[in-house]
Amino acid sequence: MSKNIVKEPDTRRLGIPRAMLYYRYRVLWKRFFDELGLEVRLSPPTNRDILQQGTAAAMDEACLSTKIYLGHVRSLLDGCDLILVPRVASFGHQRVMCTKFQALYDLTCNTFPEYREKFISYNIDIPEKKDEEGALLALAAGLGFPRKAARNAYKQAKKAEQEDWKQRCRTQERLYQRKDLKLLLVAHSYVLDDPYIGRPVTDYLRELGVLPLRADVVDRKEALKQSLRVSPTLKWEFSRELVGSVAINKEKVDGIILMSAFPCGPDAMVNEMIPYKFPEIPTLKLVLDDQSGTAGMETRLESFVDIIRMKKGVL
Amino acid sequence: MAEEKRRKVAFPLFSHYNLPIKYFIETSMNAEYILQPPMTRRTMDLGARYSPDSVCTPFKTTLGSMIEALEAGADTLIMTMGVCRLGYYGELQEEILRRQGYDFDFVNFSEYATGKPKDYLKVLRQVDPKLSLPKMTRALTEALRMVAHLDEIEELYYKNCGFEVHPGDYRKTRDHFLMAMQLAAGSHDIEEGYKTVKREMAAIPLKKPDRRIRVGVIGEYYTVMDPFSNLNLEQKLADMGVEVHRWMNVSNRNLHYHEKNLRVQIGDYCEYNMGPTSTANIWAAKYYASHGFDGIVHVKSAGCTPETDIEPVLRRIGAEYRIPILYLTYDTQTSDTGLDTRLEAFYDML
Repeated sequence: MSKNIVKEPDTRRLGIPRAMLYYRYRVLWKRFFDELGLEVRLSPPTNRDILQQGTAAAMDEACLSTKIYLGHVRSLLDGCDLILVPRVASFGHQRVMCTKFQALYDLTCNTFPEYREKFISYNIDIPEKKDEEGALLALAAGLGFPRKAARNAYKQAKKAEQEDWKQRCRTQERLYQRKDLKLLLVAHSYVLDDPYIGRPVTDYLRELGVLPLRADVVDRKEALKQSLRVSPTLKWEFSRELVGSVAINKEKVDGIILMSAFPCGPDAMVNEMIPYKFPEIPTLKLVLDDQSGTAGMETRLESFVDIIRMKKGVL
Repeated sequence: MAEEKRRKVAFPLFSHYNLPIKYFIETSMNAEYILQPPMTRRTMDLGARYSPDSVCTPFKTTLGSMIEALEAGADTLIMTMGVCRLGYYGELQEEILRRQGYDFDFVNFSEYATGKPKDYLKVLRQVDPKLSLPKMTRALTEALRMVAHLDEIEELYYKNCGFEVHPGDYRKTRDHFLMAMQLAAGSHDIEEGYKTVKREMAAIPLKKPDRRIRVGVIGEYYTVMDPFSNLNLEQKLADMGVEVHRWMNVSNRNLHYHEKNLRVQIGDYCEYNMGPTSTANIWAAKYYASHGFDGIVHVKSAGCTPETDIEPVLRRIGAEYRIPILYLTYDTQTSDTGLDTRLEAFYDML
């Protein structure tokens, strides 16, 4: 059995695309694979080249985030033995993901069929009784790790993730207390955190003297609860977190920015609904596309901030 | 006590399925069903005017169709649930219509999307509080018989109407049948209408060559089934002398659907269920490709995420089986002439 095998160092290199769900699960993944002893390589932060590669690989009509994702996958294809592409469908009743995440693994395999063997996945689909722990343990088993080691790795990883999340929420809470002009950025983590599309927005807001707050960093349980009071049939997990976050934090900020990567399916509808439900909050809709140049975005942010300052009587 | 008002109920137009919905509502409930006029350019313009830009096209079409139902006198709109964005259509459409000043009651299945029969009853009791479970079940069973017949006849129609000896035979027979289903007041009418159309269709003289062009049509649920939305794609193909096959319909996708059984047959192409109609469409594409069809047409509305996501899979199937696939994306601007040109080019390739 496994005890008799002389343990050799694992030389496999696991690539993780720095896009999409990476921004939600980075702590969990890093710790989990570190504990298992796999060498993890992250793709570089999104840049022009990655976007171009991704655009070439993706269908024309795919959303910007998909194009970015496939660009990251592309950049890992030759230097890695394995590439992690999770499949996340549903966290339960009325807690589904955009179908994109349901399709992501098969979409990636079929986009790069000659590399198909490298892609590894794990499947979260609560109605089908596939939860995160079971899925990650199955993944580890498929990679040849003993069950005990995998279970321990998951335990450590989950703990690290929870601690990190608590810390992030606390930090965010403190920011709400500040006296600055505060704008709540309502966007998926993978849009907000992406250095090529989301980061320029937060950077520019800071330049304007605005304190950007993130709607995605919130007590998720409470946000899910609140979201149904705002929109009873809303079913996308991420959209519910964001809508709930707006409901919770709306009094603490001076305005909200609905940021979305073009063309985002859920956002196209939810970002239409949010201003209907919160007519009292100044709202800017910002759709990010792959057009280079930030001048348009900057002008819109600047005039939005000016209007808010004018309303507050500070301009 | 005030007398219960007799509601005038409508549902957005969707292929031929408003007929069984009408039958179901009128035979099980104390309500009148309002069938709005067929969709036109105006329906699309109305819907597009009030919809968010980058929402999928059926949102706009069904919104326009709801407005036309209200104009036709409906006071209660019913909207379905769904596993993609469709599941959120209802709430946003209601919000938009109320903002436009329309006054109506809205019955949204998405609010009860648990899949339990008891919950369906709860929704429908908003239309008629006296509706009983046995009454609902009986009317539903009969309405689903009608769905099965409609789907079967439509399938026969598009497979054969391109080969009739006397142009117009098939259309005439089918129109009679549709009228009979619209007027059906009981199970007997449904079965009689079905027998008649079967008999009449069997008697239509056909000239089908042994070597004929066969095309499989696949794609997004609403657009692929609704002739207004796909600009009569199947009729256009049939008129070119093509035998048109389409697996996707309510009978196959909703009533007899077993996703996992289909998925095992496409294991070479995907491991998971990629979206609401993904498995079905990949399976159908592989079926057409491996059964000697001459081409495949993939239909979707602009902004349909799940259908965009299976395109890499379809491309692989196309390359491996060397079968041409035409990809059509419909938005509110798609024109008849544009479609004709693409279909002609596609036909020449076959």
